[in-house]
Amino acid sequence: MSAGISLRRGREHVSSLLVTALSAAFGAGLIQATGFVNDLYRDEEGGGETQTALVAVAMVFILLALYVASIVTANTFGTIIAGRARTVALLRLVGASARTLRRDVAREGLVVGLVGALGGAIVGVGVSHAALAWGVASGVMPEAAYRSVDPLVLLPVVLVVLTTWTASHVGSRAVLSVTPMQATGAAQERSHEESVRRPVRTVFAILFLVGGASLLALGILLGLVSPFGIVVAFFGGVGSFTGVVLGAHWILPAVLRLVGRALGRSAPATLAAANAVRYPERSTRTTVGLVIGVTLVTTFAVAMATYRTILLREFGGEDVDGVLAVTVGVLSALIGFSGVIAAVGMVNNLSLSVLQRTRELGLLRALGFTARQVRGMILAESAQMSVASVGLGLALGIVYGWAAAQSLLGSLSGTGLVWPTMPWGLLAILVAGAALLAGLAALAPSRRATAVSPVAALAVD
Amino acid sequence: MNTTAPGARLVARVDSVTKSFGVGSNTVTALDSVSLGIRAGEFTAVMGPSGSGKSTLMHIMAGLDTPTTGRVWLGDTDITGLDDSALTLLRRRHVGFVFQSFNLVPTLDVRGNILLPFELDGRRPTREEQDWIDHLIGSLGLSARLGHRPHQLSGGQQQRVAIARALGTRPHLVFADEPTGNLDSRSGREVLALLATAAREYGQSIAMVTHDPLAASAADRVIFLADGSVVDDRARSSAEDISRFMLGMEAAA
Ligand SMILES: Nc1ncnc2c1ncn2[C@@H]1O[C@H](COP(=O)(O)OP(=O)(O)O)[C@@H](O)[C@H]1O
Ligand SMILES: [Mg+2]
Repeated sequence: MSAGISLRRGREHVSSLLVTALSAAFGAGLIQATGFVNDLYRDEEGGGETQTALVAVAMVFILLALYVASIVTANTFGTIIAGRARTVALLRLVGASARTLRRDVAREGLVVGLVGALGGAIVGVGVSHAALAWGVASGVMPEAAYRSVDPLVLLPVVLVVLTTWTASHVGSRAVLSVTPMQATGAAQERSHEESVRRPVRTVFAILFLVGGASLLALGILLGLVSPFGIVVAFFGGVGSFTGVVLGAHWILPAVLRLVGRALGRSAPATLAAANAVRYPERSTRTTVGLVIGVTLVTTFAVAMATYRTILLREFGGEDVDGVLAVTVGVLSALIGFSGVIAAVGMVNNLSLSVLQRTRELGLLRALGFTARQVRGMILAESAQMSVASVGLGLALGIVYGWAAAQSLLGSLSGTGLVWPTMPWGLLAILVAGAALLAGLAALAPSRRATAVSPVAALAVD
Repeated sequence: MNTTAPGARLVARVDSVTKSFGVGSNTVTALDSVSLGIRAGEFTAVMGPSGSGKSTLMHIMAGLDTPTTGRVWLGDTDITGLDDSALTLLRRRHVGFVFQSFNLVPTLDVRGNILLPFELDGRRPTREEQDWIDHLIGSLGLSARLGHRPHQLSGGQQQRVAIARALGTRPHLVFADEPTGNLDSRSGREVLALLATAAREYGQSIAMVTHDPLAASAADRVIFLADGSVVDDRARSSAEDISRFMLGMEAAA
């Protein structure tokens, strides 16, 4: 029974499969690349240590990407379950236990993890080889006896499978709250009022926010006298960001509402704004991954840019600048991958949530929404979500990045408090990325929504 | 009011409409050369067993779907060849809908749902229209519910909101597809009485699709459909007469 459902619902997993494959490709490609570098030093003393160090650095970025991917996957599974509420309720009605159903969903997650991780790893290793071939041909890399596949690529593969499996289990907890009763009436997602009233979670969110922000401030002050301020600030950053993620169910709708006001008062715009806000769980699921991704990228970029300002002021010189610029470039590209995964997650989540509203769109079409108005509504919704998540991520990232630089280097002679240095190029890329994302995320769902005739859409159960 | 006079103004009309679904050996002919007109100011029921083509007929008359062959008029407009956006505008301004279920936009409250056709048109109701809507809200007993969202309402209340929305723009024609299909018998009777009142007191033209003889007996005129063809067209009838006719039809088949 559950196997049949999994097969029929296979299309829903395309999104998670893509995210999983991207993470695995990133991980495997990066590890394979460290292997190539190691091959250059094979015969030299300490070659093994070189790779250990490189793998350790690579793992930092792989783990960050996996963290973002897990959050995206957990949320995608949450969206899928919300769309299946009627089916789940029906199965519960005829006697399936919630635990069994949840285990079935997690099993789908395991399959997605296995398929995505293996496929992604093959692509990742392939891309690494292609890059190497290009490097050798253009003379950047010397000719050498390079390995074909580094056995260590198994590490990201295993990690991706495990995190996807876990994420699907976490995301499927929604199954537990579906009652058999919902099979009889229209299954409703929790509305704003209901989902904001989650007192325990809200209290924890506030505790983390306040505690984290205090530690962050303390770290910055401490940083004025000692570089160890960064340790305190780090915990402050992690703490307060945990607060943001925990409180996402009321923070994001608030930000979305703010952005929604800017959209105007036409029917498509008001409906889009209402859509983004009325089901906070749905919009939080869609946006939280992107907020995390953008925060990570921005934190890193602002921290590096501010470090650079302080170091240049302290030590001056072209050498420092050149080395820093290259390092910042490479590391930004690596961390940027987390942002890409988050963006893919948002595109897919929005598509799914539009797909699940087929019937509502059919009703609107019957009542006189033109195809153009439907497209406008979906674009407005997508724009609202992109702008809100990228905006919030930017704001958080600028604070965190500045705090990191300030708490580490504030004690250097004559530094004191400095303004954050804005990496304008990267910020411009993020803003352009948000605009592109808004358009891209709206593209597929609006094409699908307007291709379906109102009659067919109304017939969807 | 003259309900049966031939030559009364028609608010909707189909002429030799055929509708087939699917291709090749899978073709289903849902409507087989149907010709009929819906008269202005009347409450018309389209009656027939499940699968007889009632919903398909309604979709085509309302400009939600296009016929395979034949012509369709809504008011004085020949809508047969209209493109999607022209049809959409026509529906928005001149047609009201009440479906069996899922009538309301879940993200909007009762007021938002009732005003939706105006919002879609990018305008606020005029003073006169607002008075009419307020009157509808009052007489449908929705005054205390304006801030509620659909999931907070009973099925009967949801249908009343849909009726208020459908009547709000004073459309040429209101289409109702099994509007009582999901309701208990008391709420069902209430909804039927409301539709009948709208036709009698406000002169609202209504076409209702149903397979329930009791529902059809509330109408001024009953059109019988079987296997995609019109088999009878009669003035107001009692539920017993309608049942008897339906049974006879099934026996003949
Ligand atoms: N989209 C469709 N595709 C294929 N067959 C359809 C479709 N819509 C309706 N039909 C068929 O057309 C016939 C009439 O359907 P319908 O108008 O819904 O009947 P009713 O509303 O009287 O129950 C039925 O045999 C039905 O199966
Ligand atoms: Mg029907």
